[in-house]
Amino acid sequence: MTSIDVQDLTKEYGPRRAVDHLTFRVLPGRVTGFLGPNGAGKSTTMRLVLGLDRPTSGTATVGGRAYATLREPLHHVGALLDAQAAHGSRTGRDHLRTLAAGNRIPDRRVDEVLEETGLAPAARRRVKTYSLGMRQRLGIAAALLGDPEVVMLDEPSNGLDPEGIIWIRELLRRLAGEGRTVLVSSHLMNETASFADHLVVLGRGRLLADTPMREFIDARVRPRVRIRTTDPTALRDVLARHGHDAQQHEEGHWTVHHARVDDIGRLVSAEGVPVLELTAQEGTLEQAYLDLTAEEAEFAAHPSTPQPQEA
Amino acid sequence: MSFAPVLHAEWLKIRTLRSLCGTLLALFAVTVAFSALAGTSGTSDPEFDPLFTALSGVAPGQIAAIAFGTTAVSCEFHGGGLRLTLSAVPQRGRWFAAKVTAVAVPALLMGLVTAFAALVVARAGLGDAASGLTVGEQVRGVVGCGLYLMLMALFSAGLAALLRSGVATLSILIPFVLVVSFVIGDAAGTAADLLPDRAGQVVLYQTYDGTLGPWSGLAVTALWTAAALLAGAWSVRRRDA
Repeated sequence: MTSIDVQDLTKEYGPRRAVDHLTFRVLPGRVTGFLGPNGAGKSTTMRLVLGLDRPTSGTATVGGRAYATLREPLHHVGALLDAQAAHGSRTGRDHLRTLAAGNRIPDRRVDEVLEETGLAPAARRRVKTYSLGMRQRLGIAAALLGDPEVVMLDEPSNGLDPEGIIWIRELLRRLAGEGRTVLVSSHLMNETASFADHLVVLGRGRLLADTPMREFIDARVRPRVRIRTTDPTALRDVLARHGHDAQQHEEGHWTVHHARVDDIGRLVSAEGVPVLELTAQEGTLEQAYLDLTAEEAEFAAHPSTPQPQEA
Repeated sequence: MSFAPVLHAEWLKIRTLRSLCGTLLALFAVTVAFSALAGTSGTSDPEFDPLFTALSGVAPGQIAAIAFGTTAVSCEFHGGGLRLTLSAVPQRGRWFAAKVTAVAVPALLMGLVTAFAALVVARAGLGDAASGLTVGEQVRGVVGCGLYLMLMALFSAGLAALLRSGVATLSILIPFVLVVSFVIGDAAGTAADLLPDRAGQVVLYQTYDGTLGPWSGLAVTALWTAAALLAGAWSVRRRDA
């Protein structure tokens, strides 16, 4: 029941439209990656969901209710917007205590989230002594304070070390596994690919895609197969006969475009071509994303239909 | 969501910032020190007023009260801090009311303690020169001084919420109370008496001859403060965080 619902949401800052008639749902039980270039409207959308900015039109609700009407909202929604938001002169623990107190969350829980985010040893140090990665962990600790059903994180892997990136990935998977609603924005494709089940992609404030991640990639990037052989002539011959588009590289391996490893493997085996290496090269999120944005740029440069004038 | 937890959170925010606790201590230290100094200097001035002399440390001391009110609010505007605050307490009116209360109570208590200490210390220096003060006048001076310092802290808090900047607020208020009000106040008559600091300081005098009395003077300051707080509340409620 605790989905995030964005309905025909529009936000204008003066003449600039940051969010443009956006409609999507973020459902519980999976990690939804929120993608788009800088300035696409991801952070603005998150602020609108949290009731921090007033929409020009449209609505954003959490579990069917406007955020501002939630009582003690940290028990329902946890958000990380900006790791720099904590006041540098407070200790990490005091920072969390001030947030917890307003929502009647006991100090015991503050110590729990400090432990969970690995900040316990630094809890009584002032925030200004924290590294970016530690501030990021503190922001995530704040988001987890109320044990919320909805978690919304804006660029959580910023500044995290490799260990931290693995930690956040596992945390996100676990939160979704517990049936929570998880929305995570990022502009790092490989990172997003490692934890997201579903994608919402924005471009210039508009919704470009709202699909499961696997479908998104498969629809845009054809899989390829990498193959190495001791008998290039036989391989070329077999592939050509079966209508495959293959390319030989200087290093000696081949790439078969638009092919699945299962098909190519069976084929070369049946034809008795000696194989040294056979690897599937699935499309990556990055390729799919670039394909989508290239299409968008094309569309923006040559609009096929007259565009309504932006207000 | 009830008011008490929100107030608790705002009180914690003040307690856990050393700079805020520091300004309250500075309020005490500066006021008492300057009052003590005034108590030992000459009393031959024809306009000598023993009550005002004893409480004259308020003139520099109020800068600390202004800094306290300003910083308590402006610390919310550091790097998106207000967004964090309002995502924990989205009822903005209630949040601002809690913030104002968390500024008012410590400012009033510290103001009363400071005024009392300043009076005691200065009287020790003044000796017989202050013997004409009645108990009623001294109570009025101390209570009025506490209220005045609280109102100045709240005035600054309201302005800081409106301007969303501690630097902007302080760079308006400090020259104002140190220079503008002082210069205009000496030069002009009734209009200048209605400035927030001039009006509120009438309560610090044993004898007063202007249009405003001690309590009507504080009421004028309270009106200024109410206007600043309303403007601040309007800004907090209406503007994007």
